[in-house]
Amino acid sequence: MEAIKDKISVCTAGNLSVMDKPDNSGIEKQKFLHRLGVAIAFLGIWQLASIHYHSNLLLPPPVKTAQRLLMILQDLDVLKNLAITLSRVLTGFLYAIVIGVPLGFLMGYSQKAMQALDPLVGSIRQVPIMAWIPLTIVWFGLGDGPTIFLIAISGVFPLILNTIAGVRGISQDYYHAARSMGAGAWSIFAHVIVPGSLPDILTGARLALGSGWMSVICAEFIATSAGFGYSMVEAQTRMETDKLLALMVMGALVGYVLDRVLQELNKSLVAWRFSKQ
Amino acid sequence: MNLQIENISKVFFHADKVHTVLKNVSFRVQEGQFVSLLGPSGCGKTTLLTIIAGFQTSTGGQVLLNGQEVTKPGPDRGFVFQNYALFPWMTVRENILYPMKRQKMPRLEREARLDNLLTMAQLEGKEHLMPGQLSGGMKQRTAVIRALAGRPEVLLMDEPLGAVDFQMRQILQEELEALWLKDKTTVIMVTHDIDEAIFLSDRVIVMSAQEGEILEDLAVMLPRPRVRKSGLYQGYKEHLTELLQIAQGAKTVNLA
Repeated sequence: MEAIKDKISVCTAGNLSVMDKPDNSGIEKQKFLHRLGVAIAFLGIWQLASIHYHSNLLLPPPVKTAQRLLMILQDLDVLKNLAITLSRVLTGFLYAIVIGVPLGFLMGYSQKAMQALDPLVGSIRQVPIMAWIPLTIVWFGLGDGPTIFLIAISGVFPLILNTIAGVRGISQDYYHAARSMGAGAWSIFAHVIVPGSLPDILTGARLALGSGWMSVICAEFIATSAGFGYSMVEAQTRMETDKLLALMVMGALVGYVLDRVLQELNKSLVAWRFSKQ
Repeated sequence: MNLQIENISKVFFHADKVHTVLKNVSFRVQEGQFVSLLGPSGCGKTTLLTIIAGFQTSTGGQVLLNGQEVTKPGPDRGFVFQNYALFPWMTVRENILYPMKRQKMPRLEREARLDNLLTMAQLEGKEHLMPGQLSGGMKQRTAVIRALAGRPEVLLMDEPLGAVDFQMRQILQEELEALWLKDKTTVIMVTHDIDEAIFLSDRVIVMSAQEGEILEDLAVMLPRPRVRKSGLYQGYKEHLTELLQIAQGAKTVNLA
């Protein structure tokens, strides 16, 4: 009797999974096919265009670019330059956090600080990032200085703005609750303001790292003789367009990985946001 | 514990108009009483409760707790919010420990009280969950014992069951009564629900929509735990229903 019962339950369980799965994986499969189609079309157009221009200088074909990508992934010189760039990004990013987050806390919490600082912050934000390059070369000379400054200044604004939004989004009830349980200023800050605004701060950090990675390459075209951007300029002057394209693909991959790392960090740091029933 | 509400007035200025929410409201609350503030929406009962809590200041009059004037929020007055306001970034355990840590309660005492409260609220085994993972009833119980954890002199509750449906409401009212019977703290609860007021209170203060005037200060003399089916219970209910109609009517008459 028990055995039959077991069999029945196995059957129903089996049926359920048969009924559930194809639906879901069908949609997944369709999505994948659509994406694959677009990718093939893109590569096809690239291939046709490269046949049309028939010039490795103007547009090397996808296969040649892919081969070059595999080569530069093992090229110590490229990897060394990438490491230099990443350490600049990290340093600049840390400066942006150290400056942007406290400013954001201050401006988000105090109306007076907001009124006093907002015009200045808003004005400096309007200066195009690349317009800082000449001045930073004057200040720091060629090398790490201008690049780190550029990463910091491009990252500091998303951090300030998102921290402000985070602090302002904290319900008044939490402040009242904390005070009615005997919280002082420190506890309000450490146990309400910081954790309450952390999700937005992390969103700001993601944007800051993304814009830092984008602007650093630009800065390295001009203001330095090392780094990932410099490798690209070098490839260009040597007329190695396939290497240039491969470096661009690599740049996209690195940017993607950086973003994913922060996204995962985000999920683990603010797990409470995702712990809904 | 001795709480005195003395001639409290509250006036709001809105678009060049003076809007009087409370005018010279006075009453006293004795140790261990469960008091409800009952009234139609807009009668200023929540405003009064938040003035007692110190979340906002009154325009006139004063609130005295054991002879001391209340000017800001403090751990002597626990507060249960309508939406519970549990810190979503802390576990149930951390939420309940929070007020005890703020008051520098020694570690051993803290842990013992935590266990005690969890047992009282039937939340054993739930202490490591986040508030987002709790059911409505568990959230409510957590909010109540968190407010009790710091041993407040008086517990202030702002429509603690306002957000739940009718069925759930009755269950939670019974849970709340059971919880209160185990820890007879002085309570002031704001509600617009007549049944809830009678079910839980020793005393119901009925406020009018007109400047928060106290229409009646009614003692509810029913044995606990309360039984809804009793004739006496129904008598209180009819009386308060009538009174609440007057409380509401006052406003309509005045507007017309």
